[in-house]
Amino acid sequence: MKNYRKQKKLIVILIFSSILLSCQSEKKVSEKQDYLRWVGDIEQNDKIDQLDLKACYGDDEILQYFNLGEGPIYSGEKSTLLNIFKSRYRPLIDKEQNGLIRIRFFVNCKGKAGRFRVLQSDYNYQEIKFDDRIVTQLADITKSIENWKVLYRREVPVDYYMYLIFKITSGQLTEILP
Amino acid sequence: MKILNLIIVLFSFSSVLVEPNCEAFKYYGDTLKYEACKKAMEINGHYQFSKEYQTILDESLKIDPTFDYAYWAKSIAYLKSGDFVTWRKLIDKAVEYNPKEHLGYRGWCRYQFFRDYKGTIVDIEKLDSLVDYDIGQSQNGTYHLNIAKGLCYKAIGQKEKAITIIENQIKFNEDENFVGKYDYLHLGVLYLETGEFENAIEMFKKQSHTNELAENQYYSALAFLSLDKSTEYKSCLKKAKELYVGGRKMHNPYSNPMDKIYLENIENEIKIAYNN
Repeated sequence: MKNYRKQKKLIVILIFSSILLSCQSEKKVSEKQDYLRWVGDIEQNDKIDQLDLKACYGDDEILQYFNLGEGPIYSGEKSTLLNIFKSRYRPLIDKEQNGLIRIRFFVNCKGKAGRFRVLQSDYNYQEIKFDDRIVTQLADITKSIENWKVLYRREVPVDYYMYLIFKITSGQLTEILP
Repeated sequence: MKILNLIIVLFSFSSVLVEPNCEAFKYYGDTLKYEACKKAMEINGHYQFSKEYQTILDESLKIDPTFDYAYWAKSIAYLKSGDFVTWRKLIDKAVEYNPKEHLGYRGWCRYQFFRDYKGTIVDIEKLDSLVDYDIGQSQNGTYHLNIAKGLCYKAIGQKEKAITIIENQIKFNEDENFVGKYDYLHLGVLYLETGEFENAIEMFKKQSHTNELAENQYYSALAFLSLDKSTEYKSCLKKAKELYVGGRKMHNPYSNPMDKIYLENIENEIKIAYNN
């Protein structure tokens, strides 16, 4: 009887131990899963993103613009894009407003863009926050572009990630990349 | 098949990774770096952007947090996705632990992806001061790093200095029979912008012989215009448009090269040419 109790106790300890170990290993796995599928992937956020704009082939098939080998291309070429920002951006003259603003988004197979995300840094690549009036303008102009270039792989239109980087010096828009 | 196609597309445009020789670390008795290196080599077959690739390199860095290669390899996806904040943190670590290996790369990327002209100049000149050998080419092979440096001096308004740097490097490149695909064009544009029209045309002719481009004919047209050679001006514009429409134009998969033009530029110039 005593032996049976001892065995029972041992089994309980082993079960608890295994549960504890499995929790720890699960934790390790989840730590490793901090990365999304790819660096730079943007998950849909229903609170801020357009609900009816979907990737045509699902999020796991979204490529990067350069995967198609055509370089950064825009509807009407880059000169059209430059003209849009040149005519619509109103500079906020302020010597403190210097650095880079990236707006990253995805373009679906129909050339429609969504899930816009902003990253900001000074010219030393340190994260900062620009005056909202600059960021909002750039984001609004980017979002207002109705048609982006449809990119194809083997004649099939694809979904892809794209970004624009704005160089801001004293509140003036000096360059748009890529 | 769908997945296979995707893999082919992705890997055909990934950076050429220069793998370190792990055995060399072992030979020199650096067992920690050897282990980190062996772990890092497990990235082979994984896409640079993937979590598998990034996770393997994190594990490599846990073994040896001074292993520059792992920082460099991790940084590439951030660079290409435009995440300049994370990229800079990672590439700075690579430069810190192995400046001779990564300064030229960091400098080039600062130019190519972020048009950080002053930063590029600092990095390339720093590299030049550290080594007694040729500082070499940009990561994509398009330019000798000195040409890239010259373009940065041009961008910050120091055109005479840019001309001197690029002229000197082109002489070396000609001696080595290794002139870059846009070298003559850039020098020609610099001559054009500084009023040396005959020199500009000479460079554009050289560019035509090595790698004809729409841009080359467009800028040739502008040089001829400045010399009041109307027939050549119009003829070059016509050629520029043909070349552009035929796809013979400056190209880079990640960014638009300096001195690149667009169809709109050519067509506007044609309108001007035929209205006069």
